[in-house]
Amino acid sequence: MAHNELILTDVTKRFGGLTAVDALSFTVTSGQIYGIIGPNGAGKTTVFNCITGIYKSEEGSVNWRGEEIRGLTPYQIVDRGIVRTFQTIRLFSQMSVAENIMSGRHIKSKQSWWHGIIHTPASRRDELENWHKVEEQLDFFNLNEFAATPTGSLPYGIQRRVEMARAMAVEPTLLILDEPAAGLNDNETLGLLETIFKIREKGVTVLLIEHDMDMVMEVTDYLTVINFGKKIAEGTPAEIQNNPAVIEAYLGSEDDDE
Amino acid sequence: MKNLERFGFPAFIIIMAVLPNLLDPRWQAVAITFLIFTVVALSQDIILGKAGMFNMGQALFFGMGAYITAILNSQYGWPMLATIPVAILLPALFGILLSGPIIHLRGDYLLVVTIGFNIVFVQVVQNNLGGITGGPNGIFGLDSISLFGTQLTSQISVYYFAFAVLLLTLGIMRNLEKSKVGRALHYLREDQLAAESIGINTRLYKIFAFGLGAGIAGLAGTVFATQYSAVSPEAFEFIQSVLFFSIVLVGGSSIPGILLGVFMMFVLPEIFREFATWRFFIFGFAMILAMVLRPRGIWPASFGKIPKFLIKESNHGA
Repeated sequence: MAHNELILTDVTKRFGGLTAVDALSFTVTSGQIYGIIGPNGAGKTTVFNCITGIYKSEEGSVNWRGEEIRGLTPYQIVDRGIVRTFQTIRLFSQMSVAENIMSGRHIKSKQSWWHGIIHTPASRRDELENWHKVEEQLDFFNLNEFAATPTGSLPYGIQRRVEMARAMAVEPTLLILDEPAAGLNDNETLGLLETIFKIREKGVTVLLIEHDMDMVMEVTDYLTVINFGKKIAEGTPAEIQNNPAVIEAYLGSEDDDE
Repeated sequence: MKNLERFGFPAFIIIMAVLPNLLDPRWQAVAITFLIFTVVALSQDIILGKAGMFNMGQALFFGMGAYITAILNSQYGWPMLATIPVAILLPALFGILLSGPIIHLRGDYLLVVTIGFNIVFVQVVQNNLGGITGGPNGIFGLDSISLFGTQLTSQISVYYFAFAVLLLTLGIMRNLEKSKVGRALHYLREDQLAAESIGINTRLYKIFAFGLGAGIAGLAGTVFATQYSAVSPEAFEFIQSVLFFSIVLVGGSSIPGILLGVFMMFVLPEIFREFATWRFFIFGFAMILAMVLRPRGIWPASFGKIPKFLIKESNHGA
C-alpha cells in the first residue's frame, strides 16, 4: 500500500499547434479522493486520456507505483490497476447489465484463448467464479433488478452506475471518474457521493473530474485546478474556494458560460 | 422465442439427421452444400457478426482448406481424413498472418483489403503455382474418405461427414459464446475504446477471430473437396465471399439466423431454379426487404443469457 501513488511530472500533450496539457504535475496518494477541476476545454479529459493510455503525452512522466506507464496501451494500464469511466457513457449498449459488468472481469479471468473453443472443468469454474464477482457488483451498486436488461434501454442515471460497476469489477487500485455527476439529478448525485465514499472505504483511490462545484467541494480531499492545460492552483477544497486565481478563472468563466 | 430455441434446436438436429434418406440424389447434393455453406457462414459470423470486422474474403480460407486437401491427396497420396489437421491449421495460420498487419483498418478499408486477398488467392491457384494447383481446371479425381478400412463413397456418407463437421462447429460456437474470448469479441464490436479501457487487448482478439474463422472455413473446404472429389478456382471467387457476407447480414449473427440466411440465399434459389433468372430478381428484392425491415438480420444476436442466480426478484416496491 505504501507505494500506490500516481505521480504526473511535467506532462505535456499537444494537438498540432494547440497545447492541450502544458507541463502539468500533480501527485495522487493512496486512499485519496482527488479532484481535477477547470473550465470547459481546460484539458481535464486530455489529462485522463494521457494517464489511461488513450493518448501518449509528448513530454513528461506518468509514474504509477514506481513504474513509468507513459506509452503503455490502455489494457496494459488496466492490468496495473487503473480503470476509468467516460464522460459520455460508453457501455456495450445491446448487451445486458450483467454482461457489461462481466467485461470488467476479463482481465482477472484465467481462461486462455483456447477455452473459447473447448471448455474444461477449470474454465467452467473460472466462468462461474467471475459471474459471482459480477453478482457482488450488482449488489454493491443496487443493480440486481436490471441484471438482464440491455443497458441501451436504461435511464441515464442507471447507465452511469453500470459504468462504475463495470470499472469496479476490475478490482482497481485507482478508479478514474470523468464527470460522474454529469446529467444526474440531485437525488442521484447524493447517491453517487455515497457510492464514492463507499468505494474509498474499500481501499480504492479515486481520481475524478467534475463540473458540479458543490459536489467537488464535498467529496474531494485534495484538488488541482487547471485552465488552458496549466495548473493554476492546488490544495484542499477550503483553500481552493478562497484562491483568487481560481475564482477568476473558474467561477468567473462559469458565470460567463451560463 | 426461448421455447423455440429450446425445442427448435433438437428438432433441427433430428430433421437433419434423417433428411438424406428422404431426398433424391440431386437434393442430397444440395443438402450437403447447405451443410458446408452453413459451416463457412458460421466461421464468417465469428469475424463479421461477433467481432464486427468487414471481412469480404472468407472464400479464400474456404478455398485454401479445399486446395490443401486436394493437393495433399492427389500429389502426396495422403488419405483424405489425414489432410484435415493441415486444412484447419494452415488457413488458421494464414488468417493470423494476413490479418495481423491490417487489423487496425476500419470497416470499409478492411473490406477492400480482404477482397484483394481473395482475388490474389484465385489468381495464384489459376496460374498453377508451383505446378500443384492444377491451373484453371483445378484438381480432379480425389479419393473418397476411408474410415476403418471402408471407403465412404456414397453421397449419404459424405452428407454425414458434413453433418458431423457442422455439429462440431455448432459446439465451438456454443463454447465461444460462454467464454471470455467470445464475450471479448462482442465487447470490441460494440465499443472498441471502451473494451480497450476495461482491459481487453482488442488487437489480439481480432486476430484470434480471424484465425478461428479461417480454421473453421478451412475444415469446410475439406468437406467441399470430398463432396465433388475435385476443386477448382471458380468455387472460391470473390463473389462467393459476397454470398457468405450477405448470409451473415441478412440472417443475423445467431445460429438460427445463419441457418435461415443460408437457406434463403442458397437453398431457395435452388428450389426456384425452374424460374431461371427470375429467381434472382425475387431474391434481390427479398434481400432488400430483409435489410430494410430487419437491419440487424432476420434473427439477430440475443444477449442477456446470464446465469440464473443473477436474476433476482426486484425487492423494493417502488
